[in-house]
Amino acid sequence: MTAEEFVSQAVEVWARPEAPAAREQTGFFTDTTLCIGCKACEVACKQWNQLPGDGFTWTGNSYDNTVALSATTWRHVAFVEQMDGQNHAPRWLMMSDVCKHCAQAPCEEACPTGSLIYNEFGNVYVQQDICNGCAYCVAACPFGVLDRNHEDGKAHKCTLCYDRQKDGMTPACAKACPTQSIQFGTVSELRERARRRVEELHARGETDAYLYGNEPAGEYSELNSFFLLKDKPGVYNLPEAPRRPSAHLKPNYAASFAAAIGLAIVSALCFGKRGR
Amino acid sequence: MTPIPHDDGYYGLPMLKRPLWGWEIALYFLSEGISSGSFVLGTMAELFGDGRHKALTRHARYLALAALAPCPPLLIADLGRPERFHHMLRVVKLKSPMSVGVWAMGGFSGPAAALALKQFARLEWMPGRMLAIAGLPFAFTMLAYPGVLLSTTSNPLWARTRYLGALLATSSMASATSALAVAAALDPKSSDSTREALHRMEGVAKAAESVAMAAYVATTGEAARPLMKGRYATMFRIGAFAVGIALPALITFGRKKPGRTSTVISGVLSIAGAAALKWAIVHAGRDAVEDASLNRAVTRADAAHPGWAPEVAVRTGVLAGSVGRSS
Repeated sequence: MTAEEFVSQAVEVWARPEAPAAREQTGFFTDTTLCIGCKACEVACKQWNQLPGDGFTWTGNSYDNTVALSATTWRHVAFVEQMDGQNHAPRWLMMSDVCKHCAQAPCEEACPTGSLIYNEFGNVYVQQDICNGCAYCVAACPFGVLDRNHEDGKAHKCTLCYDRQKDGMTPACAKACPTQSIQFGTVSELRERARRRVEELHARGETDAYLYGNEPAGEYSELNSFFLLKDKPGVYNLPEAPRRPSAHLKPNYAASFAAAIGLAIVSALCFGKRGR
Repeated sequence: MTPIPHDDGYYGLPMLKRPLWGWEIALYFLSEGISSGSFVLGTMAELFGDGRHKALTRHARYLALAALAPCPPLLIADLGRPERFHHMLRVVKLKSPMSVGVWAMGGFSGPAAALALKQFARLEWMPGRMLAIAGLPFAFTMLAYPGVLLSTTSNPLWARTRYLGALLATSSMASATSALAVAAALDPKSSDSTREALHRMEGVAKAAESVAMAAYVATTGEAARPLMKGRYATMFRIGAFAVGIALPALITFGRKKPGRTSTVISGVLSIAGAAALKWAIVHAGRDAVEDASLNRAVTRADAAHPGWAPEVAVRTGVLAGSVGRSS
């Protein structure tokens, strides 16, 4: 790279091309009652997004050898075997986990470079040409979605197939899902569809079905990628009530500045005439 | 295959990702605290000292720059893509404490460098007091933001409390006071009144740090487990508290003006304690995410945080006896 190229690349960072016009918000509705654990979503995601393999190990955790979402795994199918028959007939729960695309995302709030943005579809998106790998988003995400890839040093997560959406296509995982467990669409339409699905399941006697993230909960925003679950969130490794990291930003700053300025005032007294 | 007990989470796997910050950030917090703290102390001595603490202000100006110097390299080394460090300067984002910290350090570096240069090259035409006052807001921000940055995450060890910012800020002020007290003890040009003032200030700063530490541990509650009982417990209890606070207090306790040797010893211990505190807090945050049951416990639904707890499931008994129970 010549010196000139280096300078022009460095300066380009400040360029602000006009943002595309906002479109209707899109998201995922993942209905875990329809999931059969085929992992087609994992494979389709890896293939479309050209994500490298993560090696292979037998975990012994049912059929889950993927373990968790990571910088190179943006869909992860969880397998929960409940064969003890304590509260219900023995069952096998499966759930395709993904970035939650929070309406007010802690990662987006934390990002100091402006790499993490909401794109025109309202999806939380990491701009790879901006991210410098500070890893604040990794610590901020309450779902453990984001991670930094040790090979390229940048944060990665589900893009909700931004590139496919731009061409009017369905994200790869939803397209590949053979049971419509993963549904893609506009958020308003998905919420309505999900509500009807819960009603339908309840009418059938499956009263433990409920929606995770379809509406704001206290300080935490609604999730634009939300789920229909059959057991407590913790069973799927989800937090029951995620906390919003920036909820106490002002009182935290207030206490901290008060401590620093208070000690400065004390020092002024110590150094001043009164301290003699 | 072992069946999964009902409230045991997901194969004991962590819910969160490990924070990637390590020794660079721990040392950065120590160094930027000494830098901004000594800037504030030097400025206070200059503005309110009636010319009695000239040596202190001189030490403070050099120390502010010397401790600032390693900060940018430490921060850049911590990045996944160090050559993109300037991407931090694309945006000013008040909701991101990291962005606030970057800009505070940028604003601070000007006055800190100018004042050290003015002193070194005897540039009398430079408006020293104006520069010092201009640097104060940035210095206060650098003192205040590190703990707030850690608290604005999902890490149970950092995010459960409102007092982590105050703990790191008081620790920074205390370690800067100790560093200046050591300098004053070693410099024969320092006046007795300077050494007495610094001794008093050290006492107050240490007391404030102890209160902040107690408040931090108490408000973090069970989530302080990785720090109080984990592998950083010794560093936190013995290093940060015993070596950093209790021992220096014991050495200089009750003396109006401790001797030079004991000032140096207690000052060095204090700074070592501040290093242990910041090291332990940064590193124990990694262990905190490995404790899956702790993470479930601290994100449980309550009145203020309804979450998406399945009411229907509660009513039908699927969750009977498990809501609110610690796992």
